[in-house]
Amino acid sequence: MTTKTAAVKVDGLTKSFETGAAVEDLSFGVRENEFVTLVGPSGCGKSTTLRMISGLVPPTQGKVYIRGKEVDRPIGDVGMVFQSPVLLPWRSTISNVLFMAEMRGKKAGEYRQRALDLIKLASLEGFEKRYPHELSGGMQQRVSICRALLLSPSLLLMDEPFGALDIMTREKMGFELQKIWSASKTTVLFVTHSITEAVLLSDSIIVMTARPGKLKAVINVDLPRPRDTKTLSDARFVELAAAVRDNIEAQWVE
Amino acid sequence: MSANRREQLRRATETLCGFVVILVVWEYGVGFARMPEYILPVPSAIAIKFWQTLFIQAHHLSVTASTTLIGLAMALVIGVLLALAVIYVKPLKGIVLPVLAAFNSIPKIAIAPLFVIWFGLGVEPKVLLAFLLSLFPVFVNSVTGLGEIEHDVLDLARLAGGTQLRIFTKVRLMNAVPYITDAVKVAFPLALVGSIVGEFIGGNSGVGYLILSGQFNLDTPLVFACLMSITLFTSVVIGVVVVLERVLLQWRPSQRKR
Repeated sequence: MTTKTAAVKVDGLTKSFETGAAVEDLSFGVRENEFVTLVGPSGCGKSTTLRMISGLVPPTQGKVYIRGKEVDRPIGDVGMVFQSPVLLPWRSTISNVLFMAEMRGKKAGEYRQRALDLIKLASLEGFEKRYPHELSGGMQQRVSICRALLLSPSLLLMDEPFGALDIMTREKMGFELQKIWSASKTTVLFVTHSITEAVLLSDSIIVMTARPGKLKAVINVDLPRPRDTKTLSDARFVELAAAVRDNIEAQWVE
Repeated sequence: MSANRREQLRRATETLCGFVVILVVWEYGVGFARMPEYILPVPSAIAIKFWQTLFIQAHHLSVTASTTLIGLAMALVIGVLLALAVIYVKPLKGIVLPVLAAFNSIPKIAIAPLFVIWFGLGVEPKVLLAFLLSLFPVFVNSVTGLGEIEHDVLDLARLAGGTQLRIFTKVRLMNAVPYITDAVKVAFPLALVGSIVGEFIGGNSGVGYLILSGQFNLDTPLVFACLMSITLFTSVVIGVVVVLERVLLQWRPSQRKR
């Protein structure tokens, strides 16, 4: 390693819509292999920020760099997971995972082994040939995570991926994601409304203000990994969760 | 599986019993009410007539079937192409949709005589009527099936570097399949109406013509025998569509064998 380039660098990012600014002058950096979470009140532009980083939405002002390269259009080095799994109903699990390879114009066969490995990692073995409607919501979302990781992106963007799941599944998915992340070693930028989820999964938490979204605080999570259910009752965990909460609630008074 | 079989068998038996009851009531009810044959022939007389005119039926049905299927095929091709034009060339939507909607509000049957003036008594006006009647449902369903793709899916495709062609073949077309098979189920009977009405108003072949000649001669059993031919044809076509759906749409919950 000669120079230390950040995995993601966001510099003065602003997005204005006709209704006003959604994100204003947002700057932060994400290190290689880091798990960073964006939290903040509803409508503070977290999803818009993710879309700008992916290159799907152009910023009004400011720049995004991924591994030192400016993003000005959708780039293949990014994997994306949305709140809903958006699987293609006519494709089986494996075929849905391979969708990204086909869209890139690669032979699905070349990626088959990689897809099977990811499916195994996501505890979906035995469901390769099943269609989406035969899978539970949590399983569908795990398929969409495998699909996002298929092309080995250097950055995985997750936009409230567990927001549509029930609370029990959600907790389990958090641990599953931790497992997948530590095995695949990509940088993750994660958006959530859940403070617990944020503290449990992240290396670092970026708290945003209410609309227009600005940077409110960056909280480093120094909890040892791997984290499990016991972490939830750890004194340090409670302390960190309270710190995040304070930062969000401080805005209620302002 | 065996319980499933039994269930199917039970349902088939029920349907069959229903038909038998109707036929028996019809057969003996007509005689009981002393209804003359030219008003309502009994099923046995219709069956005999159908058997006697089998070759004539087959000949005329083949004419009707070909104009219907050609019209339907044209509607499928043109309907899908128009839908693609509307989806890919955005400004066209403002032109094509209102024109088609306005055109669709004209009862096509009412302009059938015009087609005879323009195209004569051959197969052309029949094919054209079948085509026009079936075009609208094919077009509307194609626009939905090819056009209404979840935004997030298109975003994923863009992230992976998907070209328009790849998105078309692997997303839009696949998404449209169930919409198009549904459209065929609606459009086929309409195309058949077009052909038969076309045969009513001119020409000397097709089941429509045979029905008319039955009517002129007060040969009511012949009219009913023609209806039988048409029903057979419809059943075969719908059967083919259902089989196609089974093959193409295995992924749909309703198509899966439990």
